[in-house]
Amino acid sequence: MRTVDLEVVRGLYKKAGAARLKLDIAPRFKPGDRVKARNINPPGHTRLPRYVRGREGVVERDHGVFHLPDARVAGQDDRPQHIYSVRFSAQELWDAEAPSEDSLNIDLWDDYLDSA
Amino acid sequence: MNGVHDMGGMHGLGVIVREEDEPVFHEEWEGRMLALAHAMMAGFCFKLDEFRHAMERIEPSHYLRSSYYERWLEGTITLLLEKGVITQKEFDARLDDLAGRKG
Amino acid sequence: MGSGMSSNAIRGPDSETALRVKALESLLLEKGLIETAAIDELIELFENRLGPWNGAKVVARAWTDPDYKTRLLQDGTAAIAEMGFEAVQGEEMVVVENTADVHNIVVCTLCSCFPWATLGLPPVWYKSAPYRARTASDPRGVLREFGTEISEDTKVRVWDSNAELRYMVLPERPAGTERLDETALAELVTRDSMIGVSKVARPD
Repeated sequence: MRTVDLEVVRGLYKKAGAARLKLDIAPRFKPGDRVKARNINPPGHTRLPRYVRGREGVVERDHGVFHLPDARVAGQDDRPQHIYSVRFSAQELWDAEAPSEDSLNIDLWDDYLDSA
Repeated sequence: MNGVHDMGGMHGLGVIVREEDEPVFHEEWEGRMLALAHAMMAGFCFKLDEFRHAMERIEPSHYLRSSYYERWLEGTITLLLEKGVITQKEFDARLDDLAGRKG
Repeated sequence: MGSGMSSNAIRGPDSETALRVKALESLLLEKGLIETAAIDELIELFENRLGPWNGAKVVARAWTDPDYKTRLLQDGTAAIAEMGFEAVQGEEMVVVENTADVHNIVVCTLCSCFPWATLGLPPVWYKSAPYRARTASDPRGVLREFGTEISEDTKVRVWDSNAELRYMVLPERPAGTERLDETALAELVTRDSMIGVSKVARPD
């Protein structure tokens, strides 16, 4: 650790987008693919909320490569991988009576997904 | 973890309360808390993901009753104790000192 | 801490919570991990320099410059960087457009992720349990609570911002603003319209 002084703090607010990793890692999915969020229940940190587990959606956008928070908090390697914006219909997530065109997008890592 | 922080779809949490002309911080300590937690991450003391997880580990009933920056305080103290940056004993002593209490 | 906690213990400069923060800061200073000037600079940044006026400028530019709007919707991070605001490290931006057919609304169900560089720190309601819980499952109900009626023919799209991507809504330009320039347009744009809980109102 170093002393957090003015120079450190000012350096923090110069550049956006630093979370994306410039790594050449192949995506497992592409826009348009049907995917299913895995039904996992890890006792540690995860960014896969309960309400999407086991639900099917469509990959809408590939955001590129990021570290996996689950692995980082567990003190493992960062397991860099693609994040996708996945779209789920409101009917699939909540209620068969929900407006048929309403939907929810959430960002999901490769490790959270299977092909549907 | 399947904690109370994972709120999507939960019922019974009441109406959404809005405040007209809300200030950025309601109390001076909120701004200092935000800055301290940022400084700890900027100094590589802990990572954002660890910080989020430390807040998820707050006891559920306490989590629900706490304000946003109270959770930041709890999460930061938890990590600094776990990483040995501070000890409970020195923290308690400093707190007593500032409160004018005998340790 | 009993039920009185929320009323007394977090209020005032001498509350137990304020003292705990003070104790923490004084220990970190003593250990040489922080400098007071750095803490003050962070507070100044968040309190005075980051705020929804930045996002409003982005929206006004997109309303008046079609090429900018195209870039903004394609790569929000780069298009917002063009504006020269102070950035927040790690924030990747995605901008989603409201139209007559689609209404977008942003939430973070797991914590309270928010686009700080363009909208500033989030309001308390955005961080509150009922907003985090119900926006995912009942966005139309939440919108009604904000006084925003969305017709049945308009699709509602929720964006749960759970990763390092941050979402901002490009609201619809209201009618009756054809003669306004970019600066005047920016003044119409509210924080709430860029979260997607309301629309931009017509000027009086």
